[in-house]
Amino acid sequence: MNRLPAGVAPQFNWQLIVPVVSGTLLVVGLGLAACCAVAIASDDGAVVAFGVPAVAVLPTAALGVMSGRRLRAMPLRARDGFFAVAAAWVAAALVGAVPFLLEGTFTRPVDAFFESMSGFTTTGATLLEEIERVPDAVLLWRSMTQWLGGVGIVVLVVAIAPAAGLASQRVFYAETSGVTADRLTPRIADTAKIIWGVYLTLTTAGFLAYWLAGMTPWDALNHIFTTVATGGFSTRTASIAAFDSLAIELVAIVFMAAAGVNFAFYWLALRRRDRLWPQLAEVRAYLLILLGAILVVTLSLLASQEDVGLGGSLRASAFTVVSLMTTTGYTTADFDLWHDFARLGMLVLMFVGACAGSTAGGMKVIRVMLLGKTAAQEVQRQLRPKAVQVLRVRGRVYSEEVRRGVLGFFYLYVAVFVAGTLVMAAIGLDEVTAAASVVATLNVIGPGLGDVGASENYAAVPQGGLWVLSALMLIGRLEVFTILVLLTPAFWRPSVV
Amino acid sequence: MIDGMQVIVIGSGEVGQNIARTLSAERHDVTIVDRDRARVEALQGELDALVLVGNGASPKFLRDVGAGEADLLCAVTQSDEANVIAALAARQLGAKRTVARVRDPDYFGGDESFSRDVLGIDFVIHPERATAEDLAEAILLPGAVHVEHFAEGRVSIAESILTDRSPLLGQALRERRMVRPHTVVGIIRDGRTLAPTPGYRTKTGDRVLVAAARGDIAATVAYVAGRASEVHDVVIFGAGRIGLPLARRLEAAGGLRLTLMERDLERARYVAEQLRHATVLHEEGIGKEALIAHGVDRAGAFVACAGDDRANLLAALHAKQVGADLCLAVVSREEYVPLVDALAIDAGFSPRLVTAEAILRSVRGERVHGVHLLLGGAEVLEVEAEPGCRAEGRSVEQTNEIALTHVAAIVRDGEVLMPDPAERIQPGDHVVVFSPRQGVAQVGKTFSGR
Repeated sequence: MNRLPAGVAPQFNWQLIVPVVSGTLLVVGLGLAACCAVAIASDDGAVVAFGVPAVAVLPTAALGVMSGRRLRAMPLRARDGFFAVAAAWVAAALVGAVPFLLEGTFTRPVDAFFESMSGFTTTGATLLEEIERVPDAVLLWRSMTQWLGGVGIVVLVVAIAPAAGLASQRVFYAETSGVTADRLTPRIADTAKIIWGVYLTLTTAGFLAYWLAGMTPWDALNHIFTTVATGGFSTRTASIAAFDSLAIELVAIVFMAAAGVNFAFYWLALRRRDRLWPQLAEVRAYLLILLGAILVVTLSLLASQEDVGLGGSLRASAFTVVSLMTTTGYTTADFDLWHDFARLGMLVLMFVGACAGSTAGGMKVIRVMLLGKTAAQEVQRQLRPKAVQVLRVRGRVYSEEVRRGVLGFFYLYVAVFVAGTLVMAAIGLDEVTAAASVVATLNVIGPGLGDVGASENYAAVPQGGLWVLSALMLIGRLEVFTILVLLTPAFWRPSVV
Repeated sequence: MIDGMQVIVIGSGEVGQNIARTLSAERHDVTIVDRDRARVEALQGELDALVLVGNGASPKFLRDVGAGEADLLCAVTQSDEANVIAALAARQLGAKRTVARVRDPDYFGGDESFSRDVLGIDFVIHPERATAEDLAEAILLPGAVHVEHFAEGRVSIAESILTDRSPLLGQALRERRMVRPHTVVGIIRDGRTLAPTPGYRTKTGDRVLVAAARGDIAATVAYVAGRASEVHDVVIFGAGRIGLPLARRLEAAGGLRLTLMERDLERARYVAEQLRHATVLHEEGIGKEALIAHGVDRAGAFVACAGDDRANLLAALHAKQVGADLCLAVVSREEYVPLVDALAIDAGFSPRLVTAEAILRSVRGERVHGVHLLLGGAEVLEVEAEPGCRAEGRSVEQTNEIALTHVAAIVRDGEVLMPDPAERIQPGDHVVVFSPRQGVAQVGKTFSGR
């Protein structure tokens, strides 16, 4: 065996990694600059907190982006894509944490990092006890991290600053969710542009809708950033419940649900109806699950809560189901107080998540569908061992590689969940909180059950737990594999191709 | 019939030889071309035709052999691409008609006009797809083992095997009760094809060819065969170029449970992806145990259409023995044809015959509209009676004697007649005739004007 001596660093393709990480930081820097401008305008004392990191990051990142042009002809390997994306996300979260510390929102670095990671991964778990006390610039920063993380910063980098074609591809698929590498256009940069185009359109439409529904433009901007990103940060401690407006809740429901649909679906529906069919299967299943869950939860609420009528139950059920299944995490009702059936049902929905290729987290509806098919086929195989089984959803055939990928994903997802829960319990959380905190962060939702329930926050979690949960958010957002390959010894061996 | 046509056949495989032999016997001038020198030398003594060595897809070579003056060029080499190029080149040089055999379904996306209008090939033959269509027809018509259509689909001729339950059994043909208007066209007994004489008595195991209007054929066959149980389970052995289109066709027909057996795992996977409702099995064995394990013993129909004739015959034999109802086998090579009868397999289907039929249809020109070659060497033809022909004004009985054939049906002004012997032939009639020997020359003489 030609094992190289320990300590030899693997040869990474810095030509790819440096521009991707720098490009990401450039975007983050621009966001910081925007918040700095808001801080200046509102004069709330957060100017320095945003100005310093912006001034530090922007030139460095610009240099890094330009350096990519000079390094050429290095071999491009799969691990370079994974490493670049993971590094970009960690770097974004680190830089994003700086304003929280400088402004004084948090004093412990771990808190700032947790809040920042919760933002970029669109989780929406917060450590803030009282959100209204925080300066406007910090609120906008929280919302903006979610919006940037929504469909993916790296996707944005690929869209606006395409590196060499192949390089973009590696990082694009390392960041976006889904079971197959679907692309809409021959060039990946154009696909990334389309996805961001859909994202911007949804954002604009949602902003106007929130405004019309009665929010101030300021609240509307902050909330649409976290709605289309299925993030869940709010400008109010009580979340959407603070507005107590049916119109606003309806707008939130519509745009959360819309953000849970594969973004490619919208473009295909407009431009390429012929390719829409396979996508339709997942969207249809997603909507059916949503409607079914709303119905069941409404009935459960009617049965268990006597003081709330049909209208109230339906309203609470629809909002909560959509918010949790799309992994947004806005709250109007404290679902932790519901009947155990509804509470556990919510946990299941959190795991399912929405469609692949959306901003939502979770396992994704298509994976659940493929898992179900595979399970059914395994039962049939007992009867006809020689039958050749094809993984097919509405006429679309998924290869055996996809099947293996889905099964592997499911196994890893469950394993991460179990391991995470054990660790959280070891750190000292009770069993419900331990499990729920892992579910709520791995599936990038935010609110869980128990001590991290809808009316609570994560301030009760010990420091060590916050690091673990931060890692789980990143693992969940990047769909397990991108982070877990970094933990394999082979990844760090120079011979890996 | 036009005599003395200049015909060039590219490719001297089974199909090429078969065409050359048939056309040469019908007194056309045949040139057959092959790249394989040894094959050409072997053929030279056998065929009354000009046999040449050369690349039939080469425009220069085609010009040298006179493709520009040819009345017909048939491209039937192993290679689809070479066939298409040869047909294209011949067309450019001035050949009057071009026919190409194309086997790969990738080249015909259901659009015949592409090959005709864009490529300028008059007729593209898809032998495997046509065979699959024939198999599907036999399966979908209960009681029949083979069905062919004539006169733009108005007249059907079906082959059925007489069972103990058949009401036709043991009767003299003239005594039979008519359920629907039909004609008993011919009888195949012990591998020999006979034109029915009025006093002929049928027995179990006889294969009877009956003609009827298309709408009546199902009832007629049910009456003749004496069993009309519909097929529900179909097992297809071999998911190749015949098996897959057959399964597609049957899937489209609906109401059938399909099982395909394929020995190549990758092919099995591909086929499973193509078919939505069929069960595809990766099965290498063709033993009885394997067949029983997959429900062949209860199958209404078993079709052996793998690439290998011997495997097909063996599988069909086993299927028959374990109890499958209708057993059909694809037999490509002529030397295996007698085994179909000997092994009591219900029917053999040959892509080779399908190709020859298609080419003969196009050679024989305007007046012969349909040709169906039976495995035993007989033919069913559809001809148009021209004004002034020998058959004009004569009764069916007399015509049968002159032409050494048996008139099965007459289509007059779009109307299907099942003629009684006294019916007289009129000019313009489309006549479907059964010819026990390859007696097309005699049929031609009887019905053509001149």
